[in-house]
Amino acid sequence: MSYIISFCLCAIYNWPMEKDMLFQFEDVHLRVDDKHILQGLNFNISKGEFVAVIGASGAGKSSLLRMFNALTSPSGGNITFRGIEIDSDIQALRKNVGVLFQNPVVFDGSVRENLLIAGRWDQTISQTLDHEILTALDQVGLVNIKLTHHARDLSGGEQQRLALARTLLNHPQVLLLDEPTSNLDPKLSREIMDQIEELRKALNLTVIAVSHDHMLMRRYAKRVIILSHGEIIGDGDFKTLDKSHAFEDAGLLKNGVNDAT
Amino acid sequence: MRPDFYVLSWNDLLVSLLFIAFSLFLIKKWKLGLENTLLIGTLRTFVQLTLMGYVLTWFFDQQHWAFMLMLLFIMIVIASYEGTRRQKNEIPHFFPAMLVALLSSAILILGTILLFILDVEPWFSPYAAIPIGGMIIGNGLNSTALTANRFVGELKHREKEIETLLALGATPKLAVYDSMKASIHAALIPNINAMMTVGLVQLPGVMTGQILAGIDPIIAVRYQIMIMYMWFTTATLANMIMLAIVYRQYFTSKLQLRRELLREKKA
Repeated sequence: MSYIISFCLCAIYNWPMEKDMLFQFEDVHLRVDDKHILQGLNFNISKGEFVAVIGASGAGKSSLLRMFNALTSPSGGNITFRGIEIDSDIQALRKNVGVLFQNPVVFDGSVRENLLIAGRWDQTISQTLDHEILTALDQVGLVNIKLTHHARDLSGGEQQRLALARTLLNHPQVLLLDEPTSNLDPKLSREIMDQIEELRKALNLTVIAVSHDHMLMRRYAKRVIILSHGEIIGDGDFKTLDKSHAFEDAGLLKNGVNDAT
Repeated sequence: MRPDFYVLSWNDLLVSLLFIAFSLFLIKKWKLGLENTLLIGTLRTFVQLTLMGYVLTWFFDQQHWAFMLMLLFIMIVIASYEGTRRQKNEIPHFFPAMLVALLSSAILILGTILLFILDVEPWFSPYAAIPIGGMIIGNGLNSTALTANRFVGELKHREKEIETLLALGATPKLAVYDSMKASIHAALIPNINAMMTVGLVQLPGVMTGQILAGIDPIIAVRYQIMIMYMWFTTATLANMIMLAIVYRQYFTSKLQLRRELLREKKA
């Protein structure tokens, strides 16, 4: 009965259902050498969301992002992934939660070797067929690239796409983006973000993106979490938060340029 | 015929001081300012090695297995401490890692040589155990100390690479595999190169010493071959054991890279 009621309420108010809940943060803290990096974070992230985490440099955005795939553990509080403690099976979690770093790591070797690097420990990856690799490359917009091409010879944008394709071969449910376009020009940034948005829709991905560029993010993210000095000072849609001065409070200008540095 | 001919007397040694006198003359002429240091070095070489000779003579008179094992253990402890001291970075639990690495390679390699290759009777005979044990421990120390330094350098250099691999689902061991490979390569390649050129460019010290002391070159060469093989195996084994212990120190139980260790500077 209670399930039916909650289903109806969720349907009416467009709330995410409990079963759609991916991440749940409860009073999460992070301290490094007595320095408070993150304090008292409480929020949930549901399946299929595109969430932007915005803040000036030093606000704790990257530290927060590292918690979603347990590269960093909180000093206090609790994080669950699909209702289970996030660190109960870390290797499975990391396959499920892919990440695209600010400066993508491209290993010395060919495009194929880079894509199949996880084949060193994962048989399903090592047995990936060439046409599956080409599909992954196609999904990220890397066409006309030879699998034997040396990966470090690719341009910055191509390397970023290659890293994205490598993550996709793990078939993740969640994609974490750590300032993924900060080293690219605005046109290329938009192209890559468009590609990610397409992928999100096609693969039903949940995307959590950390950025200081809220002008770029508001084109894609429905929800924004604003961090300032390790605390959440705003969580909602861009329009509502625009009225609340939260962006200015976080040290961000309206034109999207980070003025903290 | 040969042996007596080459025995060095104290008087002969005095004559070798002429080398130092000649160096002193050259140093003075070029005003290099190294005279005092050279004199101290000359004196220390004499005193330290002479004392060592007497100590070794005393050691060689001790015919007890427990004494020999104790002595080798003390050598290993000192070598492990020295290895720890040589690190540019603070590596957690490096002393026990060195101790285990050197102890295991000494037991395995020295044991094999004494029992199965030289068939020393009794097996703890100090004439074999001390010099060969010393070579194994010394070589193991030099090699592991360098490898550990290089390994930490690789971790710092490849921090992002390691985290990318972890993020793709790798275990810590696989995430640092390339770092381990690079540091072991760096340690073993000089050893392999030495095996490639030995005898062509210069005669190794042990062989030269044996020949000077009157041993048949054919026998001396066999010793040298065994020593070359022993050196390589010691370096391989000690490095692998050390790294297998050390890499684990850089990860938490939650498969996270302990990045703070890569930032820390040794005080």
